Parts: sequence; C-alpha cells; structure tokens
Amino acid sequence: MTKNRFSLLAVLLVAALVLAACPQPTPVVETVKETVVVTQVVTQTEEVVVTPTPVPPVQGGVWVEGSSADATILNPILASDSASFDVLGWFFPSLLGQDPFSGAIVPTEMAESWDVSEDGLVWTFNLQDGVMWSDGEQVTADDFKFTYDAIGSDLVETPRKANLDNIESIEVLDPLTIQVTYGEVKCDALNNLGLGWLPSHLYADDYSDVMDSPLNENPTVSAGPFIFNEWIRDDNSTVLRNDNYWKGAPNMDGWIYKIVPDPGARLAQLQTGELDLIGVQPEQLTTIQLDANLNLHKFKDDGYSYIGLNQANPENPQAGQDDEGNLVEQDPHPILSDLAVRQAIAHALDYDAIISKVYLGQGYQIASNVLPAVEWAHDPALQPYAFDTELASQILDDAGWTDSDGDGVRECNGCATAAAGAVLTIRLQTNAGNTTREDLGALVQDQLNGIGFDIQFEAIEFGTLVGELLGQTFDMVIIGWTGLGTDPNDDSFWHSKFDTPGSGFNFVSYQNARIDELLEQAVSVPGCATEDRAPFYHEIQKIIHDDIPYVFVTGSVGNTSYSKKFNGTNPGPWSFYHNIETWSLAQ
Amino acid sequence: MHRRPEGPVQFMTRYVIRRLLQAIPTLLGVSVISFVLVYNSPGDPILIRTFDPNITQETREILRRQLGLDQHWTLQYIGWLTGVTLRSGDVVEEFTRDDFHCSYAAGLNTTFCNSGGGILRGNLGTSIATNQAVWERLTERMWATFQLGVSALLFSLLVGVPLGVLSAVRQASLFDNSVRVLAVVGNALPSFWFGLMLIYYFGVIRGWLPTGGIRTVSLTYEFDLVDRIRHLILPTVVLAVGGIAVISRFMRTETLEVIRTDYIRMARAKGVAATRIWFVHALGNALIPLMTILGPAILGVLSGAVIVETIFSWPGMGRMTFSAAVQRDYPTVLGAVMFFSLLTILGNLLSDVLYGVVDPRVRL
Repeated sequence: MTKNRFSLLAVLLVAALVLAACPQPTPVVETVKETVVVTQVVTQTEEVVVTPTPVPPVQGGVWVEGSSADATILNPILASDSASFDVLGWFFPSLLGQDPFSGAIVPTEMAESWDVSEDGLVWTFNLQDGVMWSDGEQVTADDFKFTYDAIGSDLVETPRKANLDNIESIEVLDPLTIQVTYGEVKCDALNNLGLGWLPSHLYADDYSDVMDSPLNENPTVSAGPFIFNEWIRDDNSTVLRNDNYWKGAPNMDGWIYKIVPDPGARLAQLQTGELDLIGVQPEQLTTIQLDANLNLHKFKDDGYSYIGLNQANPENPQAGQDDEGNLVEQDPHPILSDLAVRQAIAHALDYDAIISKVYLGQGYQIASNVLPAVEWAHDPALQPYAFDTELASQILDDAGWTDSDGDGVRECNGCATAAAGAVLTIRLQTNAGNTTREDLGALVQDQLNGIGFDIQFEAIEFGTLVGELLGQTFDMVIIGWTGLGTDPNDDSFWHSKFDTPGSGFNFVSYQNARIDELLEQAVSVPGCATEDRAPFYHEIQKIIHDDIPYVFVTGSVGNTSYSKKFNGTNPGPWSFYHNIETWSLAQ
Repeated sequence: MHRRPEGPVQFMTRYVIRRLLQAIPTLLGVSVISFVLVYNSPGDPILIRTFDPNITQETREILRRQLGLDQHWTLQYIGWLTGVTLRSGDVVEEFTRDDFHCSYAAGLNTTFCNSGGGILRGNLGTSIATNQAVWERLTERMWATFQLGVSALLFSLLVGVPLGVLSAVRQASLFDNSVRVLAVVGNALPSFWFGLMLIYYFGVIRGWLPTGGIRTVSLTYEFDLVDRIRHLILPTVVLAVGGIAVISRFMRTETLEVIRTDYIRMARAKGVAATRIWFVHALGNALIPLMTILGPAILGVLSGAVIVETIFSWPGMGRMTFSAAVQRDYPTVLGAVMFFSLLTILGNLLSDVLYGVVDPRVRL
C-alpha cells in the first residue's frame, strides 16, 4: 500500500514537472494606442471622466529591415533600384506626398499647396517654410530646380531623363515658390515631380560633380526623419534620428537596412528578433500566422501577372507607326492574331486553381488593365474570363482549328490567319529562376494542351527573355508588371507609338486606333478631374478585355511581416513607414 | 671546372620563380577564356538594368556607349586588358572625362582613349552595377571570405585528420563504417539545405547562435571578438562539411598505406608502443600527401563560399561574384575570376613548395 502511494506520488510529481516544463500559450499582444481615454467609476451613482494623461512616447529602440539586395547608390536622381530608394528615401525631401492608403497625391511633403492655371499648363507650388537640411541650410525652391536641371544636364547620366518629358520650364519665383510649366496637359505629369531633392549648396553649379560626388555614397546631410550614419556594402546601412526633422524627431534611435539574401534566412532572423520587417513569400505565410510575436500586413499591390500574346509575326517585327505617326499595318502572327485563339486561351485557364496552387492564394483574378486599387478608374462591372474548357474548345472548332488527324493537337482547317494544315503550336516563355512563373508555365502548358494546343514551354535567363520581348521575337510570355503607381495611364503598354522593336514596351504589337485615341484623351482632360477621366479608362478596359493582347492571370498581393517591437505602426499599401516619427518602443 | 651543387634554398627559389613565370601565360589564358565566356553569355546588362517603360531608348544607348558595350568583344577585351579603347571617327569630346583621356588620330580616323587602367596595370576596372572600382569591391569583401575560408579549412583539418586516422586504426570497425557513411552523407549534403537546418535549429529553436551576418548589426560599431566567433560557427561548419568528408577518407587511405611500410613494421618489431607508431610515425608521414590537396581545398572553399555566404548573409567575395553574374556585371565577374585564378595558382604553388620542403624526394 505504501509502495503504491509512493508510486502515485512519483507519477503526480513527474506529471507536474512535465506540465511545468510545457511552454505556456503566449498571449496575443494587441497594439496599444498612445492616447487612452480612461473612464473610471468612482461611486455607485457618479461617473467621473478622468482627463486623459498623455502617455509619453518611449524614446529609443532600433528598427531593422531585412532586404534581399543592397543599395547601389544613394543619390535620388542616379538610383534606379528599389533597395537604393529604401535607404536614400530617408534623407531627401520631395515635392509631393502620397496618401499611404489611397495612393493619392497629397500636400504632406515640401509642397503645402499648389495652384494650376486654367489651361492646366502652369503649376505653382507653395513650399513649407522652415525645413532645414541637417547642416543648417534651408531647403528651398533652388534645391528643386537644381535637381531637375541636373537631370537635364549632359554631364549627368541618369535613367530619370524621362521625368523631364513635357516640362517646358521650371522657375523659382521666390525661395518658397516654384512654377512648373508644361508643354501640354498631361494628367499624370505630377508623378514625374516626385524625385528626392539634392542639397544644391553642396554641389557645383554646373552639375559637373553630380556623377562622382562622395555624397553619392555618403549623403552627409538630410532633411528627412533620419541622418545617414554608415553603409557597409552587402552587409548593412544604418541611419540615426534627425533631431531637427520638421515633422518632429522620431522616437527611435535609428533604423538599419540589413542585407539577408536568402528568403529562408530572412524568415529565421525575423523569428529570432534579428530583423523587424521582411517581405513574406507565400509559402512562409503559415509560419508567420502561427507566430504570436509577429504582425502580418497583407495588401493589394500595384502590379499584376499576365500572359502576353504577340499579335505580330515574330519573324518580322515592325514598328507600330511610321515617322509621321501613321499606323503601320503589322505582319500578323500566324496563330495569335486570331481573336478566337486568344479567346480560347483566356477561357481554357483555371484561374482559381492557378491562384490557389501557384500563387498559394496570394492573388485575385482581374478582368483588365486597371487594378481595383485605382478605384476611380477601375471598372468593377467588367467580368474576368470564366474557366470553361468546353466553350474554349467550341470557339476553336468554330474558328477552323480542329484535330483532323487525331493526334490530340489541332490544325488549321479553315482558320482565318494561318495556312491550311498549320499546327496549333505556340512557344511560351518565362524567366528561369522565378519558380512561381515556372510553375504557372507548366500549368498553362498542361491546360492548353488539354484542349488541343501544342505549347512549347521554356524558362530562359531573364536578360535573354528581355531581349526577346523588346525584340518582339516571342510568341507568348509569362511576365508581370510591378510599381504601376496610382495613375491608370499605361499607354506605354498599348499605344502603337510604343510598338518599337528593340525598345518599346508595347512589345505585343497591339494596334487599335481607338485605344490610341482614348489613351491620349484620358491624360489630357481639361482640369484632370477623376470623374472626367474615368469614362475613358472604362472604355479602354473594355476594349483591352475584349481584344485580349494580354491574358490577365492575377493581381499581385503583397505580404510583409513585422515585429511588435514598436507601437504606432499603421502600414498602408503605399507606404509602410509613413508615420515612423510617431512610433514608440513597446514596453 | 665543376659546377657547385645547388643548395636546397637556391633550388627552391629557382623553382618558385619558374612557377610564377609559368603562371603569367596561365592567367592570360584564363583571362581570354573567361572574357569570351562572360561577354558572350546570354543577357544584355543594359536591358536587365533598364527594363522599365520610363527609361528611354536614348538613355539605354548612352549607357551602352559609355560602358563600351556597343563595341566588338575583341576591342572590349583589349580595353579591359590595356585600358586603351579605340573608336572610329573623331569622338574625343564625347568620351573625354576626368580620368579618360582621348586623342584623335586623323590618319587612321580613330579615336584612342586611355583610361589609365587595364588589368595589365593592375586595374580590374569599374563595376557596372555599383560604379565602384572592382578592386575596391573585392578588397572590401576579401577579409570576410578569408576569415570564413581559413576557419573552415582549419576546422576540416582538425576534424577530418583525426577521423581518418582513427578510421584506419579501427579499420572495418563500427566506427570506421560510421565515418564512411557520414563522409558520403557529408559530401552529398546540399549546403543550402544543411545551412538552413542549422539556422533553424541553433538559431530559431534553440536561440544559441546568430542566424547570419558577420556580426550583430547596431548603430554604433564596436569590435566584439566573442560576437564575431559566434557568427562564424554555423557558416564554418557548413562550409567545412565537404572538406571533412574528403580529408577523413584521404587520411584513412594514406594512413593505411603508411602502416604497411617497412619502417612501421620495423618499429613494431622493435616494440614501439602502438599509440606512438600511429600518431607519430604513421600520422606524420600520412600528413605529407595531404599537402597536395591544399590547392584544391582552397578552391573548394572559395566555390563553396558562394552558397554559404548567401545563406548566412556573409558579406564575402563569393556572394558578390554570384550576384554580379546574375546582374551581368562583367567587370566584377571578370575581376573576381582573375583573383580566384591567382589564388588557385598560388595555392597550388604553396602546396607543391610545402611538399618539397617536407619530402625532399620530390625535388629529385
């Protein structure tokens, strides 16, 4: 009996130890608001509202962002990669702000207000007073003019030359007033005025030192929330709080941009607290969602994936317009110039399966070229193509693409564009190394071959693919656009003047005189009111949806995950850090 | 008159000089082959950088001309080698810059530009991706790769040699078989997978070691030896695994060969203690052939560093070369290839010299 009692005690003891050793579920910590209104019941009958005591923000702390790539140059007019802008974005003031949630241009940066002339050509910007560079010089209109004049200088090789298109003059009316005059009304023109300003007092007046200035690697002055501290290439960049930032000094001590090339290693470092923010791959989402110490920010990105269908013969690429701007009739693609074939492709793809299996649910089907994020221009009434293989087969049958020899591949038997007997064989390409696109390619090949296509799929090196695209020597391509921005003007993809083999981005050789006309009208509406521009974009979307130069596969969804180290984070789809100066270390 | 016999020092000096002279045509050959391969690989460095509807074709052409990519590869090779570039017509004004002097030879209707560079003058050129001098890029990262490489090499020797000798001592035992299996597994283990597993276990689950980087990043830089060593452990283990596998098998074979020799038999016959036979007589002689794999081992560490530096965010030369290749940053790739070739040649020379020092028979 005593032995049994001891055994029981031992079992209980072991069980208690095991239970004690088990990790307790970690409570999910909600983000705490800085200002709290406290309602306190003092007596049974009287309710007293206590005056809220502002919680003083906690000073200190460092935020570490993980990135796959390092910056290349810290000069806002010479940089062209996103990593460089991630770092240099802290230092250089810009004319216009962007609403972090809607993406609309707002007067939250150097321009506190602006006026536009009646003809829409002359824009006058009134600047914030009292904004200082960290070396004590004032930020003025001269900095803006210097920056844009430098872009135009022959001594400065910059990919930003196109930002000057259509600008006739930039005048400094006084240190706090800028006047920009355009050659013609362009409703998306303000987008070209968003570059960071160089501190003109640190450069030669003739721009001769812009290319080789030590400031390009060591931007010592700042007018932003942080001041440059150190850049160790391929390792990290560090910036420190700017105590004189005009919107108020950040509470945190600094921010670090840490280079971690491998996505798995980035996730591991986020979990261990070595990183505070990373972009999340779809396959990492479950891990993030199970980790109570991490927040997930999911948003519709300004990009989409598509299959580009070359309308012209890849063996004979031609420009879309002649020197006088007249349409040049293209040598049509023997198969893809047939609208029925394009319709069959659009109906043959199982978009739900593609989004769930290839994009792991991180996408949404779109009907045409304007994304829902640009709400005023997007046409929600337009429906995406439905997955219907029977309909796709019927369309091909009706169009004279039938399988007469029973080998499972259709041939032209009375089709409109190819020679009799031509096989429905099409090359499909994408860039190797992008596993999502490679998976999509395999699935598209499988689904199209299922209705009688013979798709020759290959994943090739990105540079080679770009050469084939711009050279217009491809048949079908899986690729995507990112960073489309907030204005729906995407004429470079559809207008015939951008169908220029070797350089233009209308590389599918899409030609439609009505589209050319609409694209031009949509950006030159007097006054540029969105309600006046919207009808043009609705019609554009409808025509592009019907003509199918692209098969739109999915709109992009972005995922970022971040630590709960700071209170006050409020990421928007257009900016993660828009209110960083108010963040305060969580206690 | 008799020629005085050459002493070992003179012999070795002549040998080293001869080998260094032989290295010159080798390096030139490497430069031609790598230049042809790199410049003729698919992908246009300008298009990769400017695949953006906002960048005009004119900008692309300017960039292409400025980088000399519009010229035939043979002219580009001469420019890379000598720093002198040739262009037809009078384009002195277009190309003359602070560090780039051009003059026009009217008789030949050619403009000669001299950058003052060229690898023959020790100038590896300027990176297309970052506009930095390639030599600067390499030296910035050299120390990081050196630290990782040396520690991986030492670690492979420290683990691989005893494992090999013990396997030979306990030939056909469970230990020997286990080491054999582990060597096969270690050799076949993909380092990106093994690295991520170590990161996950020791970094994420246990929290014992940092998951990457060369040091803990902070706003203020302070050298901390313990922190550096902690960051070095995981990448060293991953980089050393392949080496341990090779060295342990090599040492086992060599040790078994040595113990079958007459002098070991003699030592045994004289009653020398077994431990002394194994670890003094056998090990000492078995170590000599190990010198021959020193050169290949250095190359193995450098090539392995490409993956390991990427997984562990190690800011070294391997990672830089890999990303330069992806970006078609020709000057950086070529500069790194030349540098690695030089290291390999020097590594092989060093192993041959050391072999000669420890085993005088090879000098005959």
